[in-house]
Order: sequence, then C-alpha cells, then structure tokens
Amino acid sequence: MGRTLATTNQIIQKEETAFANFRRTLRRDDQLVFDGLFAAARKHTAAISQANHALPFEVILLAMLLEQAAEIERLRRRLDD
Amino acid sequence: MIDLVGWLLDVYDAPGGVMAWLLTEAGERVQLFHAFPVTFYAAGPAARLRRLWRYLQTHPLQPRLERTERTDLFAGPLDVMTIEAAGPAEQRRLFRHVAARFPDLDYYDADIPLPLRYAARTGAFSLARCRASTGTTGEIAAIVDISPLDSPWDLYPVDPPLRVLAMTPDTNPAHQPPAHVIVTGRQGPIRIALEPVKLLLIQIQALLRQYDPDLLLTRWGDTWLLPHLLAAAYRDKAGFFNLNRDPARRPLRRKANSYFTYGQVVYRGQQVHLFGRWHIDQANAMMYNDYGLEGVLEQARVTSLPVQEIARKSPGAGITAMQMLTALRRGVLVPYQKQQTEQFKTSLDLIHADRGGLVYQPLIGLHHDVAEIDFTSMYPSVMARFNISPESVCVESERAAVVPELGMIIDQTSEGLVPATLKPLLAKRIALKQELVGLHPRDCRYRRLKARTTALKWLLVVCFGYLGYKNARFGRIEGHEAVTAYGREVLLWAKEAAEDLGYTVLHMYVDGLWIKHPDGTAANLEAVMTEIHARTGLPIALEGIYRWIAFLPSLLDPRVPVPNRYFGVFLDGSFKVRGIETRRHDTPPFIAQTQMRLLECLAQAGPDQPPENQLPGAVALLRQCLTDLYAGRVELNDLLVTHRVSRLPGEFRARSPAARALDQLAAAGKELRPGQYARFLYTRGDPGVYAWDLPAPPDIRLVDVARYGELLLRAAAHLLQPFIDETALRRWVLGEPFQPTLPFPMVARQPHSSPDLLSPPPGTDGRDAVRHRL
Repeated sequence: MGRTLATTNQIIQKEETAFANFRRTLRRDDQLVFDGLFAAARKHTAAISQANHALPFEVILLAMLLEQAAEIERLRRRLDD
Repeated sequence: MIDLVGWLLDVYDAPGGVMAWLLTEAGERVQLFHAFPVTFYAAGPAARLRRLWRYLQTHPLQPRLERTERTDLFAGPLDVMTIEAAGPAEQRRLFRHVAARFPDLDYYDADIPLPLRYAARTGAFSLARCRASTGTTGEIAAIVDISPLDSPWDLYPVDPPLRVLAMTPDTNPAHQPPAHVIVTGRQGPIRIALEPVKLLLIQIQALLRQYDPDLLLTRWGDTWLLPHLLAAAYRDKAGFFNLNRDPARRPLRRKANSYFTYGQVVYRGQQVHLFGRWHIDQANAMMYNDYGLEGVLEQARVTSLPVQEIARKSPGAGITAMQMLTALRRGVLVPYQKQQTEQFKTSLDLIHADRGGLVYQPLIGLHHDVAEIDFTSMYPSVMARFNISPESVCVESERAAVVPELGMIIDQTSEGLVPATLKPLLAKRIALKQELVGLHPRDCRYRRLKARTTALKWLLVVCFGYLGYKNARFGRIEGHEAVTAYGREVLLWAKEAAEDLGYTVLHMYVDGLWIKHPDGTAANLEAVMTEIHARTGLPIALEGIYRWIAFLPSLLDPRVPVPNRYFGVFLDGSFKVRGIETRRHDTPPFIAQTQMRLLECLAQAGPDQPPENQLPGAVALLRQCLTDLYAGRVELNDLLVTHRVSRLPGEFRARSPAARALDQLAAAGKELRPGQYARFLYTRGDPGVYAWDLPAPPDIRLVDVARYGELLLRAAAHLLQPFIDETALRRWVLGEPFQPTLPFPMVARQPHSSPDLLSPPPGTDGRDAVRHRL
C-alpha cells in the first residue's frame, strides 16, 4: 500500500549488512555461527514487527537471545532424559 | 395496460430515458422504453452557482433546476444545485458542457453508471425478476411502473432461461490466421468458412435469427472475431448484418489497454458490447476462467452492473458500484471523479506479503495431525464488525471504539457506508459456503455453487484495497490502517484462545492459523473454534485437518522459515500446496506435473504411515520422468516456459531468457504488449531460447534437455526436502547406493527443536553460506 516504512525483513537485513566488516574479520567457523544468530532472529520476524520498537536492533538481539535460551532448554531436557 | 413478469436482461440509454430488455416468463424477449430523468448536483461559491444557473436556463437541453440540501459523506449537509436532464444520454452531454465551462465547481452524482441509477430508483437490479406495467404509445411499449420480485441476496434465485450461442474461430488469431468460425447452438457445432465474406455474414445472421441468443459467448470475439465481422460487413455494405437484438443500435467498441493490478500487468483487449443481447469473450473476460458464467451472473446480480460490463471489469469496479448504490439509496452524494488511469496499488498477494497483516514464521519441518482454521473474508468482516468506513474513522463521538495499537477512534453511532454495503454480501457468501460444505464435490449443484461463492469472494477481497486506494471514491487510508491493525489483533486473540486450550500454534498467516494438539488435534477443535469466535466475533471456518503438512524453509538459508512455502495432505487425501514450482505460472507443465505426481506418491502413504515410506516410489517415479525427458518422450508443449510480459520490448534491462524470446518474436513481426504471454523453450547454444509462436517449428534436437533435467531435480528436491536432503536425493536418483539415515533435521515435531541454530546450514559448505550472506 505504498508503504514508506521498511519491513521487518528489510530492517534485519540492514542490521546484518551493517556488520559486514565485523563478520568479514571473523574466522570462517565463527562466520557461520554469526549467520546462525541472524537466522535465529528471523524466526521471530512477526514478533519483532509487533514490538514496533524505536531501536530495532535491541529487539533483534532479544530474538537471538530467546532462541539461545530455547536451545539451552532443549539441551537440558535431553540431558535429563 | 399490460403486466409483464420477467428478468431484466439489460438497460441502456435511449433519447429521453432508458431502453430495457425483459425476458418474460412466457419466454419472450421484450424491448421496453422507460422515461427516466437523471439528476446530478453542483456545489461551490454562491456567485459561481448563480452564473451556472443563468447558463443552464438558456441551454438547449432545458434542464430542470432547483436549489436543495443534500448530504456529503464527509462534510455533512451541503447546499447544492440540482440539475435534472430528460434522460441519461442528455445528462452526460449536459455534464460535459457544464464541467468544461465551470471546472472549478464540485460535482456529484455526475458519472454514475445508468444501471445503478435505475436499480437505486426502481429497485430493478441486473437480472432481477420484475413485474413491469406497460402501456403502448409508439412502436415500442413503455414501462409505466417496474418493481422487483426478488432480491440480490436470495440464495437460490430463479434463473432466467437463457439462450446461449457459442462462436469461436478455429485457431487463436494472434498466432495463426483462422479459416473457419465454429458456431455452436443447441444442435451442435457448425463450421462456417470465413471466405467468401458475403456467405459468412448471411449464415451468421441466419443463425442469429434462428436461435435469437441472449448471450453470444465467444473466444477472441472482442479482440478479433466481432471486429472482423463488423469490418467485413462495412466493406461489403452488408446493411442487413447486425449482431444486436436492438435493430436501432450498432455494437459499441472500446479500445484495448494494459494496466497494472494485483501486482502484475494485465492486458485487456478491445471490447465489443452488444445491445439487447450480451457478448462475452471468454478470452478477454477478466475472471471468467475463475468462476465462469455462473460467477458473472452472480456478480451482476449483487452489483447491479450489466452482465457485459461485470464480465470484463475487475471486481474492484463491482465493489465500487455496490458502494455507489448504497450511497444513492441513502441519498448521500457520490463525488464525481474522472476516469482513473492511475494504478491501484494493492493485491491479494501484496496484502499477504505486506506487514499490514500478521505474518508469522512457521516451525519449519514436517508436522502430523494439524488443523487449519481460517477467518472467513477476514478484512471485510473486520470492517463490518468494527464499523470501519471512510466517514466513521477518526470521528469524535460519544460512542467511539479505540483501535488497538494505533489508538485511532472509530465512530459507532451509525452504520457506515462500507459496512452497510458489505454486510449482506458477507452474509450471502457465508450462507452459500455453508451450503457448499454440505454438498459432495460430485453433486451436480457443487460446481455452480462454488463458482458463485468464488465470485462473491473476489468482490470481498478487493473491498479492502479500495478502502485504502486514494483514488477510490469511498477510500480513506486511515480506514485501511485500522483494518490491518484489527486484523493483527484478532489473529493474536485467536492464538491466545488456541494456546489456552492446550494447542500449539505452528503458523499464522494473515487470516489463517495452523494448530495442533499433542493428544489429538480433532478432539477439542470445536471448543477452540467456539472460543475463537467468542473472543473475536468474526466468522471462522475449518479449512481442514492435515494428515501431515511440511513448512519449507527459505531457499537461501534452510534455517530461516518463510511464511508461504508449504504443502500438506488433508485427511480426505486432497492437497494444499503453496510457494513451490507447481504453483508458479512460469513453470513448464512437465515439471509442475511431475512435482504434483511426487506429492501424490507421498500422499499414498496410509493415514498411519509416515510419508517417508513412499520415498523409494518417489525416486523411481523421478527416474522414470528423467528417462522420458532424455529419451525425447516429453511433448514440447509440456516443456514450455510461460512468461507474462511486463514491459515493452525496449524497456528490458537484463537480457533474460524471456527478453531474448521477445526479441525473437519482435524480429518475426509479433510484438507483445505488457500483460500478454510469451512462451518459449530452453535450447542449447546461443541464444538459449526458442519462442514458441515463431513461424518455423522448433528443432527438437536443440532442446536443452540437461537444463530441464536440472530444473526437474531441483523441483523434486524442494518437495522432498522434509524427507531427504538434496545431495542425498541426487545420489540416490543417479543410482548410487543409498544409506537411509535419519532425514535431515527438518522433522520437527516439537516447538523449539532447532538443533541447527549454531551449526552451518546443511547441504551447503561454508563457502556457499558466505556467498549468500554477503
């Protein structure tokens, strides 16, 4: 609808691009982990969008953190089994 | 005075009034005249209105003038000048003169289609069963009074006994000059040679006289056949030749155009409209392939637009007509607008991709026992439920509702124009859909009912876009925002309701949600649906329960979910597929069909068996298809790539295969306009494509079999992704021994099972991943 706001996907893309030099300097193995962080954030695009936060990167970080916490939870459950 | 009862087939203007055609219950087609003065309004500074008054007093058309107060939708009561002309044709002429001389004034009700005025004043809508009292003055009987006997909202109206005559050239004239016309009436097809012309015209005229069809149903009738016949009749001075039922009129012709709508360019060829009978060109009718004649008639009834118009127009014109009709009936002024040539910017697809609706990220992978619940016509329902209308949003009142997220207010004191228009339409669609649920797909009524609900669905789909379209007469962008805000809120209410009842929400997509319950999805479904309905107040329906459904990841990164790439098999064995090759229009039929056959193969797994048991069968099928391809056993037709032209030949920036195919066609003298389709084959060597409609047939040996093989493997890999990764699939197909390992980590049955978060994406080596990221 002739929207003037960037979509959440565009925002995530932009934040990721902003770290291109950071990423470039990482070792290849770490680069893949880095990519995984953003892939994790993208699982919560809808929530990031709904948050409508002034500083979107904070919400992106929160989404990454959320996925990590979920991962830890999952691993803990596996240890318990 | 004679009373006639029959169906209103057509109304169009005649000097001093309208000409109406009635198909009577006795089976007669009666032409009737109806004296019908038409009014429009002018508003502006008093001095200018006085000058207009003086000008009109001496105008040869002698309009009746009056000062009145009418209601503007936004501004409320308004002093206006009433200008009444003797008939619709006179009104149009008068308005042209006035608007040219007084362009600074505001005009209302100036360009309303005649059938809407007629329906608003007499109640006689398009295809209504009417009772007409007629008297005879001249050659043509005149209507004294007319009133409808049914309503557009009747679920099962008595259909008029229409006579249809089909007429089509023997080939597509855009590709090859036809030699014959095939005319099909009740007695089967008749082939008539195009030459000699005289004989052709005489034969067609004789058939028209013999059958006297109400509907001339053609293919390429707008773009080729009728213009060809009319030109031939003109050259041959065949004065006897007239396709109309009204002998006093000549057919009306409209020019071709390309326009941008629903995210793509559509080409609409020139049109030929008839008087007293209808002409529909199936190849030029916007949505004909979607819902056929049944749907066209349904839309004509509910919109009051004539059959010939609505068959060729977009549903947007239909919804605008309905809003105008509501305005006319309420006595609200309809602002004048010049014919819009600007683009409208919305589309069903765009709505869904837009952040306007809530688009969730599904849990990637294969899930069993999943229910899909959809809100029925969500956005129109939201408008009706929350009274969202251009004149109700942002209006302070004692009874105002506050829109979630936005804080915008919506006046609730009186029903808005848009909700009032939509409510009966929504109710009719839901009622027909419920009838449909009770019918077996093989039932003879099913197809017709389905066509009618589809036709209504399209009207509802576009009404949302028209609320936010700045050029729409009853549009307002805030209304649009309010609708999407409520849409998101409502979906979250639904999610909360489902989760409260122990369901896991796998996915949400604008107006639908996919849920499952660890102890059996079906058991509590009714409770969930009741709860969602109670919390939202909107109609919902169960799309179905999937035996299994696979949500696919992004093509670029298998760890990232995308909202609209999935496929699944319902309990009854039918499929739903979104976002993969078989759904794309440019996919060669061979590849689309093979992908569907692979899906059928997977679906053959019994209700209690995992679909991955079918993998050996799927691989065998894939091998067979590849063998057929390499052995040249696939029809060239099935290898065609179809491309919708989006620009003029000189406008292409990249030399894509489609652009090269267009160049070939242009070199052969076939220029395609935006919105038309180009078809081509991939060939070996340069230029790599061969356009299908070139005069010389393609050389079979040149077909780029390897490229098609690669496309096929990729399409298969996308479909089988939840069960086997692409490298393993390729190895298996090529005959290397396959070690059945646990399928790649897509079998996700638990939320938050994402073992791949910190590992490289499977199926790619590190280098690939880097390239995709940077």
